[in-house]
Amino acid sequence: MTILLRMSSWIDAVNAFIGKSVSWLILFAVMISAGNAVIRKVYDTSSNAWLEMQWYLYGAVFMLAAAYTLQRNEHVRIDVAVSGLSKRTRDWIDLFGHIFLLMPFVILMIWLCWPYAMNSWRSGEVSVNAGGLVLWPAKILLLAGFILLFAQGVSEIIKRWAIIKGIIEDDITTQHALPPIIEELESAADLETRMKHK
Amino acid sequence: MIEFIAHYLAPIMFTIVMGMLLIGYPIAFTLATGGLVFFFIGVELSIFAPEEIRLSYPLIQALPNRTFDIMRNDTLLAIPFFTFMGLILERSRIAEDLLDTIGQLFGPMRGGLGLAVIVVGALLGATTGVVAASVIAMGLISLPIMLRYGYDRTVATGTIAASGTLAQIVPPSLVLIVMADQLGRSVGDMYTAALLPALMIIALYASYIMLLAVFSPKSVPALPPETRTLGGGVTSLVVLLALAIGIHYGAYNFLFADWTYEWRFVASASTATAFALAVSLSNRALKLGVISRLTEQVVIVLIPPLALIFLVLGTIFLGIATPTEGGAMGAAGAIILAIMKNRLSLSLLKQALDSTTKLTSFVMFILIGARVFGLTFYGINGHIWIEELLTALPGGEYGFLTVVTIIVFILGCFLDFFEIAFIVVPLLVAPAETLGIDLVFLGIILGINLQTSFLTPPFGFALFYIRSIAPQEAWDDEVTGERIEGVRTGEIYRGVLPYIGIQVLAIAIVIIFPGLVMHYKGDVQNFNLDDVQINLPSLGGQNSDGSAIGLPGQPGGLGIPAQPGGLGLPGQPGGLGLPGGLNLNNTAPAVPGATAPAPQPSGLGLPGPLNLNNTPPVIQ
Repeated sequence: MTILLRMSSWIDAVNAFIGKSVSWLILFAVMISAGNAVIRKVYDTSSNAWLEMQWYLYGAVFMLAAAYTLQRNEHVRIDVAVSGLSKRTRDWIDLFGHIFLLMPFVILMIWLCWPYAMNSWRSGEVSVNAGGLVLWPAKILLLAGFILLFAQGVSEIIKRWAIIKGIIEDDITTQHALPPIIEELESAADLETRMKHK
Repeated sequence: MIEFIAHYLAPIMFTIVMGMLLIGYPIAFTLATGGLVFFFIGVELSIFAPEEIRLSYPLIQALPNRTFDIMRNDTLLAIPFFTFMGLILERSRIAEDLLDTIGQLFGPMRGGLGLAVIVVGALLGATTGVVAASVIAMGLISLPIMLRYGYDRTVATGTIAASGTLAQIVPPSLVLIVMADQLGRSVGDMYTAALLPALMIIALYASYIMLLAVFSPKSVPALPPETRTLGGGVTSLVVLLALAIGIHYGAYNFLFADWTYEWRFVASASTATAFALAVSLSNRALKLGVISRLTEQVVIVLIPPLALIFLVLGTIFLGIATPTEGGAMGAAGAIILAIMKNRLSLSLLKQALDSTTKLTSFVMFILIGARVFGLTFYGINGHIWIEELLTALPGGEYGFLTVVTIIVFILGCFLDFFEIAFIVVPLLVAPAETLGIDLVFLGIILGINLQTSFLTPPFGFALFYIRSIAPQEAWDDEVTGERIEGVRTGEIYRGVLPYIGIQVLAIAIVIIFPGLVMHYKGDVQNFNLDDVQINLPSLGGQNSDGSAIGLPGQPGGLGIPAQPGGLGLPGQPGGLGLPGGLNLNNTAPAVPGATAPAPQPSGLGLPGPLNLNNTPPVIQ
């Protein structure tokens, strides 16, 4: 179990690092996208490569950060029906979900994306747009995203099992009292101090 | 028995997968795996009901490409841009400044503070599309003041929550972008069409406050004059406004008379704004005393939001930027604004990026899950089942719209708008087209519906937001020294009820007077008749209504050559927003481009964003 938990925290660390790193790509995407509009207007020219760069970056962000999002327990759920259940029952639901709802999908996607990405790579697939970017790295991103998600799934199963067995404490509360975005806002903003101030 | 299941697989699948969502596991994965399980069941049962079930194992190989199409979708790229913009703006305290000043302006009037909240909510809504940011900012500033001076607490909380949701219906809003994407219409059309309904809703909110001021003055008291720390002097504001409007009118009719409509409007409006700003700034710098301090401050705080509105909506309507690029411009503008106000730190930037990343990721994975679900559901003729269900309703068009409104309203009590948009909306496209309902019109009605879903207890998000910042326990007010009771959740729920009523009224008005929305088409004929003739040849003569081509709301032809896989992308500039022709074009190529040797479910030609046009070169 110790080995498994160590593996789990290693996966968590890697995915958190990747998730936080790719978030910077949003800033690049903002600059590129705004720049595209300005350049097109001012110089009356545009480049497919730069336009494709926008969705390339975006795709990289949400594919590679999906595992991180899972780790932070921020994929939305409908918890109307289960919010009244005990923590233990919800832990079991999570474990069940990781094994029977997350994993089959992720494994199937890896199995399907593997030849899909590899064929693209071997043929050196390039965008059909004139001057467009190469496409195969994007397809490999797809594959990579699902592989990271698989790894995170393994880590989540280990952690949830350990929590049920009482080996570790649950550091992230399963239940979001509030929708994720407001918790983010609260932690980002100095909401506490601002409320006291008023 | 097996044959029964095979024939009714679509309703069974729909019920079971929706039921699975209730166990509280993340929706994205539940939907995907639910879809896959029924894919295999469907293939195995296909011999029993070859009419209904058109699935085969090779079809599953379409999944990577369907996911890839989601990845290269330019329209949805606007989601992180607008979210990021909202998070940065929240921290730049633009809302605080606005409320402070506009609150002082209207405050000494009965119901004034309520009106100020509505006006600021609308202004914030026009800059970004994030409800959380608006509600939090307005709740932090206005709620304590409203409670201090004796506003009815249900009115106070309800008004703040409802005004915050304006961000979802006033362009540029995430709801409208997602709706355009799912319905396969252009975001520009959606924005143009949403303008009047949005203004109408704002006016209805304001009328409600004014009615209260007349009939129940105790619930919306005037603030004592000493709260106006900027002093009085409304006259000079009125004069300055009148002058600005005069300049706008003059410039529009004389100075820029030979420019195209959009440029003329924007140029003259900018001139008028620049004039007002110049007067205010010079008044402040040189201490001229021409206008009052209040006027000066009102003009100065209005500039940042107006500049942002121009950056986002102005560039989109002028055709300089696509809606996605408009979002990027807005985000860049928000960063610049935050830097100018010295509110941007590295940790804030990191936090905002981190939140945006996670939000984007869960939204896109719901879409991926919904697509996997859709592959099976359409393959077992689920869309035909839904279509028959909805087109058989009594009352035809009105019956359909009423039932859809009720369904979305109920779902909205439990689901986030992303889920409704990705799961439910695609199913409504075919029935709506059968009934001859314009999809943009449908999109606006759904948009107002989804805006309402932010308000419906017990799971409306705006209620969560206001709950999180409204004090739960009694506190001693620091100005009056009086003890003020905490806000109870029940009070918040009761407070939004009138606004939910207003929303329902708004939906009814839009259904009864479709002209409020349909002007998005009408405008075209007035402004761009020449363009129409120029563009017609390229259309192959298949559209009878060529008038929509040069819509002012669309970024003209600018982006066309540059869009990746342009044809199938909704929301893209160019001829895509053609009424009528679009879905046909999308569906038709779907069949030859399919992977499976088996008969292809026509459902693969999912409305809009599916882009099977992209498929052929990729799958062998």
